[in-house]
Amino acid sequence: MIPVVEPELGGPPTAPTGYVPAVAGRPRRRFGRLAPNLVLLASALFFTFPLLSLARFALQNVPTVLLGWDTLFDKWSISGITAVFDEPQFWESLRLSLKLALGTVFITLFLLLPTAIWVHLRVPKARAFVEFVTVLPYMVPAIALVAGIVVIKPHARWFLNSDLSLIPFYVVLALPFTYRSFDAGLKAIDLRTLVDASRSLGAGWGATVFRVLVPNMRSSIIYASFLTAAVVMGEYTLADTLLIESLPPFQQKFVGREPQAGYGLNLLALVATTLLFAMVTLLTRKRDPKRKTFAHMAAKTTLRTEKAA
Amino acid sequence: MTGLVIDRDDLVVGGRTAAGASPAARRSWAWLGLVPFFAFLVLFLIVPAISVFSNALRTEDGFSLSAMGEAFSGQNRSAFWFSIRFSALAAFVGVLFGTLLAYAAATATRPRWLRSLVTSFSGVAANMGGLPLAFAFLTLLGRQGLLTKILNEAFGFDLYGGDFTLGSVRGLVVVYSYFNIPLMVLITLPAIDGLKPSWREACANLGGTPFTYWRRVGIPVLLPSLMGGFLLLFANSFSAYATAAVLTDNSKIVSRRIGFFLGGDVSIGEDAVGYALAAWMIIITAICMVLYWLARKRAERWQG
Repeated sequence: MIPVVEPELGGPPTAPTGYVPAVAGRPRRRFGRLAPNLVLLASALFFTFPLLSLARFALQNVPTVLLGWDTLFDKWSISGITAVFDEPQFWESLRLSLKLALGTVFITLFLLLPTAIWVHLRVPKARAFVEFVTVLPYMVPAIALVAGIVVIKPHARWFLNSDLSLIPFYVVLALPFTYRSFDAGLKAIDLRTLVDASRSLGAGWGATVFRVLVPNMRSSIIYASFLTAAVVMGEYTLADTLLIESLPPFQQKFVGREPQAGYGLNLLALVATTLLFAMVTLLTRKRDPKRKTFAHMAAKTTLRTEKAA
Repeated sequence: MTGLVIDRDDLVVGGRTAAGASPAARRSWAWLGLVPFFAFLVLFLIVPAISVFSNALRTEDGFSLSAMGEAFSGQNRSAFWFSIRFSALAAFVGVLFGTLLAYAAATATRPRWLRSLVTSFSGVAANMGGLPLAFAFLTLLGRQGLLTKILNEAFGFDLYGGDFTLGSVRGLVVVYSYFNIPLMVLITLPAIDGLKPSWREACANLGGTPFTYWRRVGIPVLLPSLMGGFLLLFANSFSAYATAAVLTDNSKIVSRRIGFFLGGDVSIGEDAVGYALAAWMIIITAICMVLYWLARKRAERWQG
């Protein structure tokens, strides 16, 4: 599949010939960075323009037709955004979406995390297989999954008639990245040693998981939880097709009814998602390597005293 | 669990557990720990997926492939053609600009925060598909959009002079690029980091020009990542629903057509076609993802 790099017979001479080859790809000329910088600049524009434009429509009540230099600063207000909060349906759909997000995170943590720990600890042979199984949801797009739900709905009305029945399906949709996050977290720690140490110090399984493993996997747990919450809060396909009034279907209807406030709501959704991700980045940031841990300092001091002795 | 009780199962001596059970016997019990997980997956993923196929393959008189065939005729055929065309183009654009952006960010040295900004933003934007994004582009490039007006008044260019709409191939490619490009950045950045400077030096020492380096070393090493990225972006664009729901009419692309059939606006006999469309969608996405999986395994060889 991949062309192998083979030394060419009779190719370029390897002995010095007076020809000084330029080091490939390194910016040598003054304008060497021109093209990459243009790419960065164009990307910055492409990725900020839609957001700014959405903000303009949410915050300024001037139709595009009338927009010009003389009306540029007219009628800016946050009334478009505050109008969202006066809408009782908004609160209802938000509450439902929050419940769905919490439920999904909860089941993910209590079903997937123990499974991931179990696989690493007791059935390491099944690791590749389980990893493969967890990417299966990528093969069934949300719209196809919902087709399946529609088929089984008549046979399980007692369950699927509830709005909260979406939770297990959301767990499945989030599975590929939640499991991968746990998997990476477990690979990064010396699981067996930690468990053996904790158990031999007298800790039960509960204490081992909650007081030893969970703190050591903090980053991957936070990452998986926040990303799951973000995905659920913005999930439209299942909710819309099954006529469940969570936040995203409301977002769409609201734009149709009150465009400015609708754009305001969508702007809020974008800002909230971005803040959520910013929080993840802050919470999971690697500790400054220059700041030494207590154990590190203790070891160093011991070493120094030993040398001095 | 009091005192210093050592779990005897954990005392493995010479491959045998202290409890005396052979490792094989213990392993067979350990499998049971995975039962809740697999049961969950069967109930909420496998059963719905199989139901799609069983409904697509069944008519009143038993097993039949007619619905699966019908999914490729008439309006369905044009929906498939349209979906495949725009997904392939969106994937190509995403791969091209995603790789360029990843390369620009990976090689930039000056503002030190640039690289982490690009990766963090990519993490956000890759998950940003859905309604807000579609509405944002509607305000920018819609008929009454801001950029549409700017282009028209400042440059005299009428965006809607031709056959452009946000629901057309070009329109969808532009909108989908918003999450496809960042996704590609996340995929290729590790691969670009895997390009070792010593390879460049080796290439230069052997008399190679930058062009030789890219043709014989750089591109071949990146190729599995690029192909894997293409497949992932294709599957991603092909199955996207929410963004398309705002931008296209009901039945132009496959995912929207499935929603249309599920909405119940069709007669009873016809609904098998909706499930057949969903079945085909699963088949196409599954093939893409399996190939992506293989490409990723190949790409990981040079990373790490």
